[in-house]
Amino acid sequence: MIFSDTSSAQESRIQRRLVQLTLAAMLLGATSVHGADSLAPPIAPPAAPGRPAGLADSAALRATIFGTPPQDMASMPSRVPLAEINIALPWSRPIPDVFWFDRKLRVWFSAQDKPAPLAIVISGTGNDGNTAKLSVLRSALYGAGYHVLTMPSPTFPGFIVSTSSTGVAGDLMQDGRDLYAAMQQIVAHLPRRVRITDVDVLGYSLGGANAAIVKSIAGKEGKLRIHRAVMINPPVNLFSSIGRLDELFALSIGSGDEGVERLYRRLYAELANLYRASDRVQIDEDFILGAAATALKTDAEYSAAIALSFRINLEDMFFAGDLYAGTGVVVDPKHPPKVGDSLEETQRILRNKPFSEYFTKVFAPYYLKHRPNSTAASLIADNRLSIIGATLRNDADYYAQTNSDDLILNEQELAWLRDTLGSRIAVYDHGGHLGNVGERQQIADMLDMLAGRWPGAAK
Amino acid sequence: MRFVLGLGILAIVQGCASQVSIRSLPPEHPAAENAAAVESAAAFAAATKANGAETEADAAETKGSPAGSETGRASPGASETLPPVTPEDAPSMYTYDPWERINRFTYRFNARFDEAVFLRAANAYRRVPSPIRSGVHNFFGNLSEVDSVINYALQWRLTLAGRSLGRFVINSTIGIGGLFDTAARLKLPGAPTGLSSTLAKWGMHPGPYLVIPLLGPSTLRDGLGFLGDYGTSYGINIAGLYRGNVSWALGTVNAVDQRSNVNFRYYSTGSPFEYENIRFLYVRKRLIEDEGLRAKLSRRRARSTTQQENAVGEPAGQ
Repeated sequence: MIFSDTSSAQESRIQRRLVQLTLAAMLLGATSVHGADSLAPPIAPPAAPGRPAGLADSAALRATIFGTPPQDMASMPSRVPLAEINIALPWSRPIPDVFWFDRKLRVWFSAQDKPAPLAIVISGTGNDGNTAKLSVLRSALYGAGYHVLTMPSPTFPGFIVSTSSTGVAGDLMQDGRDLYAAMQQIVAHLPRRVRITDVDVLGYSLGGANAAIVKSIAGKEGKLRIHRAVMINPPVNLFSSIGRLDELFALSIGSGDEGVERLYRRLYAELANLYRASDRVQIDEDFILGAAATALKTDAEYSAAIALSFRINLEDMFFAGDLYAGTGVVVDPKHPPKVGDSLEETQRILRNKPFSEYFTKVFAPYYLKHRPNSTAASLIADNRLSIIGATLRNDADYYAQTNSDDLILNEQELAWLRDTLGSRIAVYDHGGHLGNVGERQQIADMLDMLAGRWPGAAK
Repeated sequence: MRFVLGLGILAIVQGCASQVSIRSLPPEHPAAENAAAVESAAAFAAATKANGAETEADAAETKGSPAGSETGRASPGASETLPPVTPEDAPSMYTYDPWERINRFTYRFNARFDEAVFLRAANAYRRVPSPIRSGVHNFFGNLSEVDSVINYALQWRLTLAGRSLGRFVINSTIGIGGLFDTAARLKLPGAPTGLSSTLAKWGMHPGPYLVIPLLGPSTLRDGLGFLGDYGTSYGINIAGLYRGNVSWALGTVNAVDQRSNVNFRYYSTGSPFEYENIRFLYVRKRLIEDEGLRAKLSRRRARSTTQQENAVGEPAGQ
């Protein structure tokens, strides 16, 4: 029997949310019915060099999905206060009808009672400022004596609508500037009793790259001084990392309508049969957990789950970008959808669109128009961490943590990180992508880096 | 009700006007939560091992053991009565939603009301000490047993009707008016049902998707079920709680209690497709739950046939 009343948690709360999300993501797959594009794309999509992600090893995929087991978690404080801050930013653009709910930027804040350094943590691709991973990092940082501010990714729809100055997310420098401007506004509006002694930034996944860029911008503009930056599992070449996730989707789910439909049907049947056998009165969290552990067993299934949850995040970013840029891929610029309009068809179309299409049809056309001297190649080159390579190499306040089996990095990229950061990077053997966030060693090292205790830290 | 609505509108207006709002939330308790996760991970591992052994033992047993009661584990042969669900049986990925336009407006209204009133009330309520909250939760759960008794009877599942009745009697007396779920400690855990399940048993399909004001995602059948259940409670009017002045206060507390137990926030995904996503998941969830109900009923039929055969001295199976 798979289900008993004790099945409630094979996973910790953190993993629970991830598993739920993954399973929800898998269930959300739907067919696409859009016609084939007859025109060849005028702009070459970014290439995805390196080993195909579908060949990532089993342990890495598993860790990526299930995260740190509860028994390996760093010790956490017993109580973490939490407040939600909603802020309307002075430069925000008119809010499109369909995004009426994303008017304000929403961030989460945990304050110490005494003067303390502030740690600002940036979320991963497409995610908001209160994910399970952020909750873990918040607990660890709060426990170590920091005020903690957690922020959404600049690719999260709520950020794109409320905060982005372009509406077309994914450009490292532009997103970094928007993030930095928002941080200054938020810090200025914190209650007076919050006394801040120092400011550090962190981020995981894409948020890691964002954090480093934000620090580099702050170094030049300097209104809100940022001391140290820690990147957790950052990408090195944004578009090739994302390209790898596209490839994972094609490998594990297949392109075209049939792949997603097949996955949906298989999962539906599997869940229905598991549910019948479980004898539960209704589908609840425990059931979903047990089902996820049962339904996700093979590498192909892990890969499908990772690829699909990424694709679902991409749909939102694609839609928002197309709407703001007026590129007309799925949103008619002259007749944008209104509140009562169905978006089902739009979503179906987007579900079948890889990131490369966002790049060629929305991102590149927009930025080529707004940056006179740019080319598609230069846009791709601008989205590498190497744009701040010299700073990363010479400024001892930048740190990174990653895993040698992280699916979003290839060998050259990992080597570049090691070479650039020297002693300021910790590379763990296992964990896949973010699969060891919260683990004892990861947290201890992160806190050492932030506090300047790490070997090779700036004096 | 008018007062609550007025308060909601005020809060919405106020919320739009200010540039920055800082709202304190219930604190997190990471240490305790992780400790609980460690414990249940161990329990899960143990259960998986034990269940592995049990499954083998089950296979050796004959069918129709007393353990095969409807709320117990499935007996190994039970699922044979219905063919398993195959990928071909999965419903289309389109959801029948002829009232989409009005549903979308209702969804938006619900989101705004939730943000301005419901969620705030639920967050405030979460600060109440947990024994009090669970007392309140048990109290309302106990009241709903009445609907379960009636609906199990209408579904002709008399054992379960009896069980719900037993729970109601035990919890109302020993459980001090339903504040304690004493019955669950006596190995009689709750298994609530309602008119929607009864209608399903009678062969009614879920029907079109329906977003109900204040309540949220539903289907036509679930909506009718809710109305019927509420009407039944109103008609029976246990202890005079459903009519008169006290009913408003009680209804509000009930709503806040239910909201505080649902871990969902409108538009926390920030996604323009949230309506589509929730609709998809809600309807698939209900369809799978219907599959479960069908399987239980068919298992029960198979069991009663087996018992009859046994009674006339024929072999139970081929």
